[in-house]
Amino acid sequence: MTSLTGLVAPTERIRAAGRSAVRVPPTVAIAAVVIIIVLLWSLVPWLFTSYDPSVGDTAEKLMAPSGAHWFGTDHLGRDVFARVVHGTASSVTSALVAVSIGLVVGSIIGLASGFLRGAVDVVLGRVVDVLLAIPSFLLAVVIVSSLGFQTINAAIATGVSAIAIFARLMRAEVLRARGSVFVEASYLQGGNRLHALLGHILPNTYKSVIALAVLQFGTSILVIASLAFLGYGDPPPASDWGLLVASGKSYATAPWLIYAPALVIVITVLSVNRISTWLRRTQ
Amino acid sequence: MSRSYGRYALLRAAQAVVVILLAYIGTFLVISVLPGDPITNMLRDPQNGLTDDEIQQIVAHYGLDKPVVIQLILSLGRFVTGDLGFSLQSNLPVSQLLGDALPSTLTLAGTALLLSVAIAVVIAYGVQYLPSRWARGVLRSVPSLFLSVPNFVVGLILIEIFAFRLHAFTTIDPDSAAATLFAALTLAIPVSAPLAEVLIANLDHESRQEYALVARSRGLSQARLFARHLVKPSMLPAVAMIALIVGELLGGAVITETIFGRDGLGTVVQKAVTSQDVPVLQAVVSLAAVVFVTVNLLADLASPLLDPRLDAKSERDAKSERKVVVPV
Repeated sequence: MTSLTGLVAPTERIRAAGRSAVRVPPTVAIAAVVIIIVLLWSLVPWLFTSYDPSVGDTAEKLMAPSGAHWFGTDHLGRDVFARVVHGTASSVTSALVAVSIGLVVGSIIGLASGFLRGAVDVVLGRVVDVLLAIPSFLLAVVIVSSLGFQTINAAIATGVSAIAIFARLMRAEVLRARGSVFVEASYLQGGNRLHALLGHILPNTYKSVIALAVLQFGTSILVIASLAFLGYGDPPPASDWGLLVASGKSYATAPWLIYAPALVIVITVLSVNRISTWLRRTQ
Repeated sequence: MSRSYGRYALLRAAQAVVVILLAYIGTFLVISVLPGDPITNMLRDPQNGLTDDEIQQIVAHYGLDKPVVIQLILSLGRFVTGDLGFSLQSNLPVSQLLGDALPSTLTLAGTALLLSVAIAVVIAYGVQYLPSRWARGVLRSVPSLFLSVPNFVVGLILIEIFAFRLHAFTTIDPDSAAATLFAALTLAIPVSAPLAEVLIANLDHESRQEYALVARSRGLSQARLFARHLVKPSMLPAVAMIALIVGELLGGAVITETIFGRDGLGTVVQKAVTSQDVPVLQAVVSLAAVVFVTVNLLADLASPLLDPRLDAKSERDAKSERKVVVPV
């Protein structure tokens, strides 16, 4: 393929480049399949496992992964795969809640800063500075300790700690778009500020913000897992991914209790990041 | 340059002070205004064995019977004069608690910082110069793998392999050099990823520049070209990231120290969260903000000096427009 590109006419090459831009690379396709499976786990977990996540057979405790128990069993004989699959809903939903908070609040702040400028920009700019000044994980820990140890609060805390990064990106994108020729042209044609905002500026910002949102979805899964790992989420028998790793670490003879949920976290986040990178590159 | 630089420096320093004070106020509000009243809950907890008299004293000291605004002003006044208050849990001065924990965390974070820079440089160098195209491709995806592994998983895997199987260190003595090294590695791996990505992006850019071609045509070896010409311009954006990295290190220390059983700031935070020790939490977060803002300030002040092309003004503009997103 590469050896041929030098031979074809320039126009052909341009056309080929145009086509390949829409083509989905195989790694992205695999990542998409992973995400779909994870979403299905969270929506219809019972389709993927016949085991009950909270009831185990103590005669079968701490068994290594096998055909019957793909991820092995824990100290109560519960099927680890079932626990991972049934824990997905909580892990994924809380990551979605976190991203939504960051995306909505951050975008509004960034939009107001970049579009209105002036005093609004100065005040909101300091708010963002302050949010950035506190290490995001520490901020999440403080917020969750103030709200109470529940998974939903961990999600809110994670979302709040992500507001600043969305606000900064949105502000930069709005500034870039509002300085462009087509916005100026819109004003010259008699368009008002609201029209310029909704018709020209927003449509030119959402792509990079969406790419960031996808990236933040992965980051949020990690942060929420970390909070759950420290015990700041719902207590057992909830089976959030981070909590599974935390409870698995007391059994040194059964490393699959750590590795299985850890692997699920890593593969999910890796897939999310791959899709985010692809989105950013194809803009 | 000097005059405008002086003004720029002064302005940035003033801005930094404002941000620190606002961060303190923000934390105070988060802790005291959000639902749930940790201090009173904690004081009323019968396990504390505090007498009514003692509770009265603590309530009076923190002005808990007064409106939030008054409490805030009192608290801010104490913070500005360097008084961080007393831990509700241990009754020790918070400054003493933090002072005891600080050396351990500084050792950990400092080692982690060095390790993360080393890892990032090795990855970036490998991505440019490894002989096999396949190996370069694999190495290029390493940062994104590092970004996808939770900190606590890295720590548990390192402990499992190097402590339990290879006996390179023991978790019983977390302050030994070997254990510190592995704890620092745990902290460094996720931090090295964005650094490596920035370095890779900049090296890609710099090695395409004509001066690199000229240097190569003069017969410079790749290692020399890298060390002499490419590293310096590629490091600048990395220096700007250093503040973000310091923040990551402080946040990551909470988990790393918990896993490795080290007594540091992270463990102090963890204990303070579990026991709702508000003065300690407030102090740690403020300290983190002070560190973050100061490092950020130093990085901003250093950038125009490192690269004479950036005069103070353009640097300020570049910073305010700077995206947080890691370059592809």
